[in-house]
Amino acid sequence: METRTFDPARGGAKHLPAQRPTTGGGQAPNGPLLVVRGVEKHFLLAGAKLPVLRGVDLDLERGESVALLGSSGAGKSTLLHVLGLLERPNAGSVRLDGRECWALSIQERARLRNRAIGFVFQFYHLLPELTALENVLLPAMIAHGRLSYLRNRSKLRSLATQSLTRFGLDRRLTHRPAQLSGGERQRVALARALFNDPALMIADEPTGNLDSTTGAAVLELIFEEQRRRGLTLLLVTHDESVAARCARTVHMHDGRVV
Amino acid sequence: MYRTFLSWRYLRARLTNLIGIVGIAVAVGALIMILSIMTGFLEETKRTVRGNLADLIVSPAQDAQTSAGGPVPRDPRIALEVIRADPRVVAASARLVWYGLLAQGGQRAGTSRDVLTDTEAGRMMGAQLVGVDVLSFERFGYPLLEGVSRLMGWPFRAPLVQDDFDTTDLLLGLDRDPHPKRLGSPVEDPWNPFAPPRTGADIPGPKRASVIVGEQLFSALRMRRGDELELATVVPDPLTGRVSISNRKFVIAGSFRSGENAMDLERIYLERTELADFLGGGLAFSEILVKTQDYDRHGRALQVDLERKLAERGAIWWNGREEDLGAGGQVRTWEDFRRTLLGAIENERVLMAIMLSLILLVAGFTIFAILTMMVAEKRRDIGILAALGAPPGGILATFLLIGLWDALLGASVGALLGVQGALHIDRIEQWLSGVLGVQIFNRDVYFFDRIPAVVEPGPVALIVGGAFAITLCCAAVPAWRAARLDPLVALRYE
Repeated sequence: METRTFDPARGGAKHLPAQRPTTGGGQAPNGPLLVVRGVEKHFLLAGAKLPVLRGVDLDLERGESVALLGSSGAGKSTLLHVLGLLERPNAGSVRLDGRECWALSIQERARLRNRAIGFVFQFYHLLPELTALENVLLPAMIAHGRLSYLRNRSKLRSLATQSLTRFGLDRRLTHRPAQLSGGERQRVALARALFNDPALMIADEPTGNLDSTTGAAVLELIFEEQRRRGLTLLLVTHDESVAARCARTVHMHDGRVV
Repeated sequence: MYRTFLSWRYLRARLTNLIGIVGIAVAVGALIMILSIMTGFLEETKRTVRGNLADLIVSPAQDAQTSAGGPVPRDPRIALEVIRADPRVVAASARLVWYGLLAQGGQRAGTSRDVLTDTEAGRMMGAQLVGVDVLSFERFGYPLLEGVSRLMGWPFRAPLVQDDFDTTDLLLGLDRDPHPKRLGSPVEDPWNPFAPPRTGADIPGPKRASVIVGEQLFSALRMRRGDELELATVVPDPLTGRVSISNRKFVIAGSFRSGENAMDLERIYLERTELADFLGGGLAFSEILVKTQDYDRHGRALQVDLERKLAERGAIWWNGREEDLGAGGQVRTWEDFRRTLLGAIENERVLMAIMLSLILLVAGFTIFAILTMMVAEKRRDIGILAALGAPPGGILATFLLIGLWDALLGASVGALLGVQGALHIDRIEQWLSGVLGVQIFNRDVYFFDRIPAVVEPGPVALIVGGAFAITLCCAAVPAWRAARLDPLVALRYE
């Protein structure tokens, strides 16, 4: 398996324009891609503190696939959101490719999320007004400026078409999500998550809403892409057999990695 | 790129957006049309009123004592000389305005005796008698004479000829086509309007002086060119102070059409010398009309200067107080004369604009409501966009752009409809009147026969700009809420 270094100057994907590095990374580029130290998160419920993450430490190596297992309420989803830069922790640090993510500005964090992290959700989360092709192109539209996008439009559309074709959706390019099956929607979501060629893919129970056959096909695609691209995969699942396909399994219990 | 793309896609996907666009279009269109029509009313009224008056009107207080010691002269020559000497003055002419009575009925009109002995008092009408100078012979004769004299080597120089044609739109009123729904009959030769008419009833007896009657009066009394018209008036005797009755028969030379209803309904023109004679010779003029080179530039200054010069020469009354000069006493501008009327129209225009702006506000609130609903509907999409790396500013811009499209489409369509509607308002009114069976614009009520509309780029730009400002302000609140939405709350929103 070939492992890959995330290039902060280019944002990972070949089609993206070069960007100024967001922070001065103090970590060696060949160290772990993601380093999580002492992450704490609590919510306020009726004025009382409800701790969800109690000092999580976690390292994700480049090109590694990690399954995150745990019972309901163990804090898996919250950890995923913190690592996906969607939820700010109350304490601790999250370093992606050597950069302290939660020290970045909102804009810089959004740019990092767009270029370095790909999300696959349980409920697909495609935009209903857009076709399959447009949904896949959305991360590139966010990454590119207007002129840059228009200049590269045909190239980007060709890349998105190739990606969907590889996932067996070549006859579904102009279909809206409502016209697609669950498996097809999840494949579109996978193509979208991978379009900016991220270094880290976070998948939150990607087969939780699919039947076993379709789920298995989607999982197969996820692992195949992970291997082919050498990206780091963090997969949340309840299914031990799915977790077994990952290189490493991390268990969570009561807000801690055990 | 995604901001423009998504905003346009969301705009097209929701039919409710069309309501907002139509609302803005209607508001902008209505505002432009109404403002253009009101501006047209104001401009047309100004033009008509100004044309029928003059830039400046000098009305000396008759019989008052002047600074020179004597009463205000009854002859206009000194005043005319002073006024014409000013380089800012193009022309000046004298008028004599008086009031008289006539009996209704055209050629069947009763005599003034009938009117005064009350036999036809019920059909009696008041009329404004305006004596004007129309120097037809001098205007054409003097230059001819000067040309001949030059050829012959005679030292003849044509004197200055200035009459009512130089100071007012009287010639235009004489030359204008009659109103299609009235029975007007213009004079035979507008350049020589008081020439006895060749057509009309053959009236036996002595030769009568000619009068020109306002078209509406002419039409209402079913007059004809060449008819006899008997006028009566009361004249104060300058020596005894007693009032005596004077009546005289005139011949109708035709009708005039000033465009100003009050004037067309009650004014009768005759030669100033003829009117002065009719009044017993005591009065030669009552006002002097002044045409300026550039009223907008010199009007007010000239008003003060002329009042001073005329007062110093003893042509008008003056109390000797410098601060009273130019206060609009004896030298008035045409705007002073019609200040109430013009002020009323201007007020109506402003009030209309304010009231119609409320429609724009309502349209803005519609946009606010539509976008608020859309943000609530699109909570999940907002979360997805945030997860894909769209910053809050990008999400704000996406929803703000929907407001911008609403404004752009609504204001463009509205401006187009408004401008076209204003330019073709007459045809629209006629079509609507035909469809509804109701006369929407009563042409007998106003100064003009068509609905005037003046489309000015300034107000149109202001209205379109206002529509943009209101729409963007109304769109900013839901867009800001969308940007502040927690992406996780949005993503959990199923």
